[in-house]
Amino acid sequence: MTTAPVPAPGGDARGTVEDPVTVEGRWDFGYTYYAGAAASRFFNELRLNRRIMGTHCPQCDRVLVPARGFCDACFVEIDEWREVGTEGTLETFTILTSSFPGLPEPPLVVGYVTLDGASSAVLNAVCGVDLTDIDAAGLSLLSQPRVRVKFRDVREGRISDFAFELVGK
Amino acid sequence: MRPVYVHGVSVSPSWADPTCSLQDLIFVGVRDALRSAGMSATELDAVVLAAHDLVDGRSLTSMVTAPAAAAYLKDETRVGDDGATAFALADARVRSGSVETCLVAAWGRLSEGPVDAISHALFDPFTTRPLAMTEIGVSGLRATRALAEHPGYAAHREAAAARRDQRAGDPGRTPAPAWPLRPAELPVWSDVVAAVVIGSAPTAVEVLGVGMGTEPFELGDRDLLGLPALSAASGQALDEAQRGIAEVDVLELDGMTLFDEALAMEAVGAAARGGGMAALATDHRVDPVGAAARGYAAPAMGLAHIARAGERLADGEGRTALATGSSVVAAQSQAAVVLGTA
Ligand SMILES: [Zn+2]
Repeated sequence: MTTAPVPAPGGDARGTVEDPVTVEGRWDFGYTYYAGAAASRFFNELRLNRRIMGTHCPQCDRVLVPARGFCDACFVEIDEWREVGTEGTLETFTILTSSFPGLPEPPLVVGYVTLDGASSAVLNAVCGVDLTDIDAAGLSLLSQPRVRVKFRDVREGRISDFAFELVGK
Repeated sequence: MRPVYVHGVSVSPSWADPTCSLQDLIFVGVRDALRSAGMSATELDAVVLAAHDLVDGRSLTSMVTAPAAAAYLKDETRVGDDGATAFALADARVRSGSVETCLVAAWGRLSEGPVDAISHALFDPFTTRPLAMTEIGVSGLRATRALAEHPGYAAHREAAAARRDQRAGDPGRTPAPAWPLRPAELPVWSDVVAAVVIGSAPTAVEVLGVGMGTEPFELGDRDLLGLPALSAASGQALDEAQRGIAEVDVLELDGMTLFDEALAMEAVGAAARGGGMAALATDHRVDPVGAAARGYAAPAMGLAHIARAGERLADGEGRTALATGSSVVAAQSQAAVVLGTA
């Protein structure tokens, strides 16, 4: 053992590292998220009744979709349920190219749609768009076209129980 | 209340430097800010840190990293928000007279983790995560709406991107794009440590005003083009500074993509509605190769913009600067800071 300084193998301790050490890390915990009463009813209505439900805030007179238990703008509880239409306007959209395990393969068109009778927009996939030419597909959707809700045959009480498709297709 | 001044700044960008651990990067960035302030760590009364566990890949990351940010035995506050919000808290500590000097530091080391997957994990598990949404996806939603509503966005996007001179990202440094965003309009991921020292002793650059704002959680409830939280935050900061936006001659506005920056120009009133992209292409209050060219790393960017604003004022580029920082998810909260030369 020596108390004299020991030089770094590559000379400078910073600046170069001959053998950089790294370790792999992963966060892969399982969580069970509670949707709560309002969102549970919203998802159950999709699954059991093929209905899109919102909750009406008496204070700001908005019908909020997906349904929720309080209006954050007015900060009041809301429990007046309204069924909204199954057609609406594609307010905006994007074409995603990220791939995530267990999710639909890209390219994926997702858009915010204000359904008839709703005051807020809900996000979902827009299916049936020809994506052979992504630029052309995007440009064709810029005019905020009408879309309708298409429920899946097998529903699980998830947002993916429905998607949107262009009206007239 | 006491006036608050900027004493020193540092923004250290790097990428996957194997000679530095995250703590080393923070240490070097904070040391450089202290050097720029001509101060030692013992002269600091307080420290405010902004970091995200998910970005750092370390649970309660500030426990690991705080000592590297000169927090040892200090009055320390940790926020899981953008660095500009940390700056607002630090400003309050000094302005109230509780402390004389305070360090603000914020960092993100994106080279250590899968950025797209981390961004995806930020979203709501019931409504948006199942639809593969990411921060870039939200920017795509804003961009589509902007193109639909404002013809000026299509007309000027190329010129604005060219002026920004974004370096092409190395593999792993560029996010998966979301239409209509083009590669030159996307951020280049980076490892960034931003640090600013403020205090009550007068310097050439004073903190004149601070503001913050928060939008609804649900993206479908939000005004995606209007960025009302940013309008509120910048309005509050300018009111406190007793300045109008017309008096601001240095702009450092945080935005993940070119479209976010353009919309921010409108939200703070620096460009007319629909004119944000044209302004980015020509407006000399914007420094297109400044903080953005150092790369992007949440949650350090708001503080990087504040630091850059301080540098630009010190360099004589103007007398009044507005800098902003926007938080994840999807710029739900915003903080704005007005700096002025004495
Ligand atoms: Zn309400």
